[in-house]
Amino acid sequence: MVIGDVTRVLPDRIRRWVGDFPSDVQNKVEEIRLRINRPVECIVGGRSFFITGEGSLVPSDEQTAAFTREEAVQLMNRLSLHSLYTMEEEMRRGYITISGGHRVGIAGKVVLEGGSVKLIRDITSFNIRIAREQPGVAERVLPLLVNEQVIRSTLIISPPQCGKTTLLRDLARLLSTGTSRLPGRKVSIVDERSEIAGCVGGIPQKNVGPRTDVLDGCPKAEGMMMMIRSMSPDVLITDEIGRAEDGYALEEAIHAGISVITTAHGKDLKDIMRRPTLSRIAQSGVFERYLILGRRPSIGSIQAVYDENFTERRKERMLC
Amino acid sequence: MLKLIGAAIILLSTTLAGLRVAGYFARRPLQIRQLRTALKILETEIVYGATPLYQALEHIANRLHGEVSRLFKTAARLLDNNDELTTYECFRKAIEQTWPHTAMKAPEKEMLLHLGTVLGQSDREDQKKHIELTIINLHSEENQAKENQAKYEKVAKSLGFLGGLLVVILLF
Repeated sequence: MVIGDVTRVLPDRIRRWVGDFPSDVQNKVEEIRLRINRPVECIVGGRSFFITGEGSLVPSDEQTAAFTREEAVQLMNRLSLHSLYTMEEEMRRGYITISGGHRVGIAGKVVLEGGSVKLIRDITSFNIRIAREQPGVAERVLPLLVNEQVIRSTLIISPPQCGKTTLLRDLARLLSTGTSRLPGRKVSIVDERSEIAGCVGGIPQKNVGPRTDVLDGCPKAEGMMMMIRSMSPDVLITDEIGRAEDGYALEEAIHAGISVITTAHGKDLKDIMRRPTLSRIAQSGVFERYLILGRRPSIGSIQAVYDENFTERRKERMLC
Repeated sequence: MLKLIGAAIILLSTTLAGLRVAGYFARRPLQIRQLRTALKILETEIVYGATPLYQALEHIANRLHGEVSRLFKTAARLLDNNDELTTYECFRKAIEQTWPHTAMKAPEKEMLLHLGTVLGQSDREDQKKHIELTIINLHSEENQAKENQAKYEKVAKSLGFLGGLLVVILLF
């Protein structure tokens, strides 16, 4: 069960509640949000609920049971295996990846050192995001990206929580495995936030395919250059580009004949064009396809596809 | 004849009691030193290895022997298996379970318990400071224990024998 790895780290009381959810609810839990002295929030199927003392889900925060400080300590102990010092990097970045590839975002008091974040302590908010693989979501997208054995460099654009990373992961799996018409390729993933492959101890917890190498926790720009030099990938996959140095690394990769598939936050192509570094990257023509994802009619639906000249391609024609 | 046997038994038991007390005085500084070694290993494991606590404690248990090793083995086992206990509770339980079998006394126990409250709860730098402080405190306790050993070990030994002798003489 997907949620098993999550319940393992939850404090006893919340573990019991979540364990007692009916299985169809369990399968739809997206986030469990814990804040000290405030009710436990559960996002199920895109809607927010609180958990009552009896463990049932209610939409308002009356008669709910608060998450206690002791439970926060217990959760932290379970997350870190009683060894917070092994998570300094995670404390600095603000999230922890647990086995199963789920992510726990944290917020609290930030300690600075030399003007940059050193660590977060007195952690008061936890956001447990349950990761679900959707094997198969890439299959309908693949024809849009492949042209006679050539994989086009693609930027996937969508607001948060619309399945960018899920799609990216499944693309990695599909391109790495290969299909009847497309032989498998060498895929390299630069996974700065451990979100695509969900590595724990360097081993991907998600299925990213048999020909896939993962550079976990590495800054994207540097990681892309490292992968180009060391792993000779056919396809380079990375998440959420946006900084100037990412652009240089992208150009480097694409001029080395490597297809790059990556993502950016945004509602549509206009959003991307308004962001200075992203628009510069787009203008330089490194991407051959832009894929816009949205929530309608369902999460991860393709809203539009643009080509390198930013003209919309009709989906029907491309899907044939 | 019976008297002679009785006298021998009294003498033997008091001498043994004396040796036992002397043994405590001799073992205490040794065990505190082992504890210091253990914490030194722990510091390395945490600061340079970033090893999870239960693994680090297991490594320590493997490198040491005797009662001190058992203390860390117990703590490691509790941390690994018992997830409803907090870190401190695991550590405290391990100390409570093994302490009666050691020759160590209350001051070093307090020091260890205090370390237990912070162990694993902060970043490496902070852990290092706490462990170092505990090592320094243990060191001074060890010196004191050594002084006590020099003063009382021999005394305890002879006192056992002589005490027995006194009882025997008085009885006869």
